[in-house]
Amino acid sequence: MPNKNGSVYGLTILSPIIDDDKATPSHDLQIRDYLARLSTREDSPFAVAPGTHLARLVVLDDVIYVGMPACEEHLKSKYLIFESNCDGDLDGYLHGLADTIADHLDAIWKHCVGYPGAANRQAFVDYMKACQLNTTFYFAAVNDKSVEETLRALQTKTAVADFIATHQGADPATLQREFIRFAAELKARPIPRPGSMGPLRDIKTGGHNE
Amino acid sequence: MSNINGKVYAMNAITPMKPWKTWIVRGILFLLGNFKRLRQDVVDLSFIEFARWVVLPRGGFPFLGNGQVKENLRYDYLLFFSNFNGTWNQYIDAFSAVLSKGLNLIWRWSEKFPGSVPVTLFMQYIALLQFDTDYYYSAYPNATANDIESAHIVQSSLDQLAAMAEGSSPQQFADAYLRFVLQVQCHLGATGNAPVAG
Repeated sequence: MPNKNGSVYGLTILSPIIDDDKATPSHDLQIRDYLARLSTREDSPFAVAPGTHLARLVVLDDVIYVGMPACEEHLKSKYLIFESNCDGDLDGYLHGLADTIADHLDAIWKHCVGYPGAANRQAFVDYMKACQLNTTFYFAAVNDKSVEETLRALQTKTAVADFIATHQGADPATLQREFIRFAAELKARPIPRPGSMGPLRDIKTGGHNE
Repeated sequence: MSNINGKVYAMNAITPMKPWKTWIVRGILFLLGNFKRLRQDVVDLSFIEFARWVVLPRGGFPFLGNGQVKENLRYDYLLFFSNFNGTWNQYIDAFSAVLSKGLNLIWRWSEKFPGSVPVTLFMQYIALLQFDTDYYYSAYPNATANDIESAHIVQSSLDQLAAMAEGSSPQQFADAYLRFVLQVQCHLGATGNAPVAG
């Protein structure tokens, strides 16, 4: 199954949410409430854990009825969808999540049926795999670069544009000396933290037709 | 609800399919995955960072016991997840204009799919089938797919130039630097906040 495209892994997980009449608010609402308050910037759990390019969490309330003559049907459970585009192999990625953001994982997935907790690493990995869907077709525009490589390259792109702009017309000896210094400084520069270049925004937006 | 993070939009859609049609979709997606030429239009669109189709058979919903009621469905489902740059309208418009044949091949097996052209009915169909994202994270939210591709070209060219910089004469370096600038000039520029979509 094509869960991988080059070195990028397309993980799709569908976890059934606990259906408990006595829970107030309901478990799906508790997940949504937690997610609504979770940072999407450099302190996001997925920025702290290694290897995530893009990821989303979605509560699937039900399947959608498209109208007659199709049959109307409904799901018995609501599901939490975790869609991630990540580096490396699945086991390494899941262990990385459990090692670094166990509290967040537990806070989200404790509302799902059969979730064993992230403290038991193997049970956690087995649970996630039990909920995994195989991708039928997976497309990645850039499929051979890690998150760190991409963040470094984006930093380089901006720095190179500045260097070229400020060194127009320099004589060859100066240009060579300055470039060697620039390349060394750029190599030593820390990689931007994942998620750190995002917009600062209190209100999350993005409706259907935005 | 948070379908947008920086310059990336997270789209989710689910469509019902009669089970016998599922195998046709699997075959088409297999061909798409294994023959590069068939997916060239998706590559050429260049505003999709990651996308996936998942065929979910009616018996394939995860069942974990522990009080969970097993699903009893008549349809298989086709899930579509996309991470694209730009607005929803631009995306669906471009899909309809550039990929209409490909989209028709994949989605025509879904119930009541109206075809990807004309775009009005297609947009209505997608809007009906879309469900919103609750949490959306990107490691590089202000970068588009083109920014990322360009950045890797600049990085690779810079590494090559840096490797020869110290061992060459100033004139040799100046010539190599000029070639470098010509090579990267259309890939430069900073990433920044996304324009406000309205």
